[in-house]
Amino acid sequence: MGREIGERQNLALLMRAAQAGDSHAYAELLRALLPLVKELVRRRYPFLQSQDIDDLVQDILLSVHAARATYDPTRPFLPWLRAIARYRMADSARRYALRTANEVPSEQPVETFAAKDANMSGNGYGDAEALRQAMAKLPYGQRQAIELMKLQEMSLKEAGAITGTSIGALKVSVHRGMSALRKILRSTK
Amino acid sequence: MTMDTDEFIKRLASDLRPVRPLRPAWTRALLWMGIALPCVAVVVWNKLMMVDVVQITTDTRFAVEQAAALATALTAAIAAFRSAVPGFDRRILLLPLVPLGVWLASVGNGCVQDWIRLGADGMTIRPDWDCLPMAAIIGIIPGAAIVVMLRKGASLHPRVTLGLAALAVASVANFGLQFAHAGDASIMVLAWHLGAAAVLSALGGCLGDRVLSWRPARSLVP
Repeated sequence: MGREIGERQNLALLMRAAQAGDSHAYAELLRALLPLVKELVRRRYPFLQSQDIDDLVQDILLSVHAARATYDPTRPFLPWLRAIARYRMADSARRYALRTANEVPSEQPVETFAAKDANMSGNGYGDAEALRQAMAKLPYGQRQAIELMKLQEMSLKEAGAITGTSIGALKVSVHRGMSALRKILRSTK
Repeated sequence: MTMDTDEFIKRLASDLRPVRPLRPAWTRALLWMGIALPCVAVVVWNKLMMVDVVQITTDTRFAVEQAAALATALTAAIAAFRSAVPGFDRRILLLPLVPLGVWLASVGNGCVQDWIRLGADGMTIRPDWDCLPMAAIIGIIPGAAIVVMLRKGASLHPRVTLGLAALAVASVANFGLQFAHAGDASIMVLAWHLGAAAVLSALGGCLGDRVLSWRPARSLVP
């Protein structure tokens, strides 16, 4: 019991140091949060695969990162963390439901052409690390537009609400970003 | 494109910038009132100059309604700012109900008194289009200010947060507008002022997800 209280206080202290810009304390805090957040996700979605759990855990940690200024050091840390985690998990479930609502399951993909490239079942890029490095080279606006619209599969309206830019500007950013990504990936092949 | 979580943590920590924790909700609400009240005063300045001070100071109902409108604005702003912090105590959402109840009760009592005194004439709702431009202008800066301040938070209930913010803006605007309508029948105050506050709050609730959307993108990770 005493140890638990000590750990909670420690989390609050680490977050206070992180708010002041101490990156070591912040890394320590995030590592300490990792098992707690994983447990929350596992308890809520016991059917998720390990990779999906990691994805959701990273989303929650990213939300903690973005909301760190809202933590009041005089208040308990865990209720703040749990509220963010619950919200992100519910949001993730809602987005998953939206994404799958229009999907039609098919047991065997239809073969269109005999060529191997035309019948790849996945549309993801093979080398995830190369893609990540290429994304990192993009200007911030293009990277954010691709991140929101291609990876998080948001609509133009949703992405526009987050970035504060017009739909036209977003379309341009995605188009330019995708062209730049193709060029970068071609040059690294 | 999930990266290794340890690597993810390293990257988040490597680019850490110091942040200033948000001030307490009541401090932010007072700060907002400090912006909103002068704006309201500027818009209704001409009307303020024409106010019959003697009549206003002797009119208890007017004083109660003005105090209740101001208190509703302040408590709704406190609740809105508090609701933009994850893990807030939900009981705070009930705070604006107290002054709002007093405001409604006072206006309701005024309606009853008008009915007794004037009969059906006291319950006539007339359109007051002259007032509409002032009502629209009066809320612009307070509305913009509270949205900017709320976007610094991380509202997990954006509809509730923006609904409360809209109630705060409508209440502070009503506080100013009442000086231009000091002698109005209570039914007019109920229909146009409190009615507008209700509509604005509902509209705020509907737009909450769009205005206070909070979804950090992975591009934040360096």
